[in-house]
Amino acid sequence: MIAVDRFNGGSKTMTLAGAVGIVGLVLTAVGFFTAPQPTMFSYLFGFTYWLGISVAAIIMVAIFHTAKAKWITILRRTMETMGSSVFVFALLVIPLLLGAKYIFPWVNHGTDWVFPGTDGVKFTEVELHHLHHKSPYLNLPFLYVRQAIYFAVWIFVSWRLRTWSMEQDTTGALELTVKQRRFSPGSLPFLALTITFAGFDWLMTLTPLWQSTIFGVYYFAGSFLAAFCVLTIATVNAQGKDEYGTLVTTAHYHNLGKLLLAFTAFWAYIAFSQFLLIWVANIPEEAGWFKLRIEGAWKPLSISLFVMGFAVPFFTLLSRNLKLKPRLLAVVAVYLLIMHAVDLYWLIWPAYSPQGPSFHWTLITSFIGVGGLAVAAAMWQARGRYTLPVKDPYISESLRYVQP
Amino acid sequence: MSAETKVLDSWVLAEFATPDALVDATRQMREKGYQGMDTYSPYPLHGGSEALGLPPSRVPFIALGGALTGIVTALAFQTYMNTIDYPLNIGGRPTFSLPAWVPITFELAVLLTAFGIFFGLLGLSRLPQPYHPVFESEEFRSASTHGYWLSVPTAETTVKPDDIKNQLTSLGATHVTVVTGEKE
Repeated sequence: MIAVDRFNGGSKTMTLAGAVGIVGLVLTAVGFFTAPQPTMFSYLFGFTYWLGISVAAIIMVAIFHTAKAKWITILRRTMETMGSSVFVFALLVIPLLLGAKYIFPWVNHGTDWVFPGTDGVKFTEVELHHLHHKSPYLNLPFLYVRQAIYFAVWIFVSWRLRTWSMEQDTTGALELTVKQRRFSPGSLPFLALTITFAGFDWLMTLTPLWQSTIFGVYYFAGSFLAAFCVLTIATVNAQGKDEYGTLVTTAHYHNLGKLLLAFTAFWAYIAFSQFLLIWVANIPEEAGWFKLRIEGAWKPLSISLFVMGFAVPFFTLLSRNLKLKPRLLAVVAVYLLIMHAVDLYWLIWPAYSPQGPSFHWTLITSFIGVGGLAVAAAMWQARGRYTLPVKDPYISESLRYVQP
Repeated sequence: MSAETKVLDSWVLAEFATPDALVDATRQMREKGYQGMDTYSPYPLHGGSEALGLPPSRVPFIALGGALTGIVTALAFQTYMNTIDYPLNIGGRPTFSLPAWVPITFELAVLLTAFGIFFGLLGLSRLPQPYHPVFESEEFRSASTHGYWLSVPTAETTVKPDDIKNQLTSLGATHVTVVTGEKE
């Protein structure tokens, strides 16, 4: 008989997160009616931050199934829950699409666009010509269709894997594991393409005449790291009744720490790959995006992002002792989540404020608004279920896991 | 006789049937105060180093030394060659082009880290070791196929080899022998 029962706590967290989310979104709406453009950019920031974590969690589950991983089984339900909150974003994307003309210069072929932070500078004739060539992809109807495809894939994969996993909690049927293991590798190409194009659509087309094929991977790399941070923090804090945190051993935390280290390095590697090729080639159509960020007022933030986002956490996480201490690891995870927010700000905000870093209060309200709703949705999905796959055939192996 | 005792030493060798028995016996022998023991198994042994009470590995520090050497060497070389000794204008890029030097710096850091780990581990393990007294035992060959062995040096204890043998047998050793050979 299993000692862990279904999880019924967390109602306080859920109510609080939901309330914070609604207040944040209401304030953001107020912001929209006073200053639509900065509010839409802020909303994009909050939306891409939290959605990335949710989708990365789905991809994570699929990857671990594909690798037939056993050690992670105890943590899998939390990843499934994080991914299950993706349905909220299918609603939250609607304001983004309705306000597309405030953030995406390519709307209406760029003819209406006035560059923010300038005295009415518009696209030149040549630029409009280039934008017109891109219009088969960059048009609003196709954008809507693409969003529908992305969310269909994410919701379906998340629902499918999670439903099988929860069904196993009651039946314990072994073929459910086989189903998950088979379904996951097939879903990965779809997940990879949707997150890549989502990154293109939401972040890269803020500068529609600029393109970088690695951009989607960059957005994914940052989100994937952030998802591991959330997983670490959730695990450290899941110490209550019927929560799985008490069953997690030092070996699991060691692995989480190693994954944090690996994906800090991966994010930096992708960031630098993108930068080096564009910097070395120095082609006008590519260089502009980086010129804005590495020269002038954005330069200090770019340099500190490299130091604080890569160098500091990388050398901190090299320590083996730190990775064996859950509390310290959670502190590093919180730090990395802040750095991920700075990273997204660095991606988004120069399009709104090319003259230099600036602050708009809706950055905070949309961040906590979207985040509050996402956390509340995840808590709602977690309640009434087991916090770990209790009848998974590998659960006992996962509980006994030691470092090889 | 006195000349012989200076160059020769004895080890008690014990074979165990399972890795768990080996780890368990190793731990108990260490708790009895034996020092300088070593374990031998055909594949990495779970809990072996903990049972032997080995200190944390020094390999990470050697690796870090390798990485830093690689970074400093690569940056210094590229700066000297491209900026100081023979500056060339390549596509209008500055002669001191730090981003362009990162790949070589990264590669050299990785290479010297790998060298550091590989040769550092060999050195700390005192390998390659063409001769060790335990090789005198014919049965010890099973350590590379299916046997789990423990060696206890007699030089670091006053307990008689026969008593050590008895202790190992009572801990579950399936085969116990004493080997004598030249000191390491």
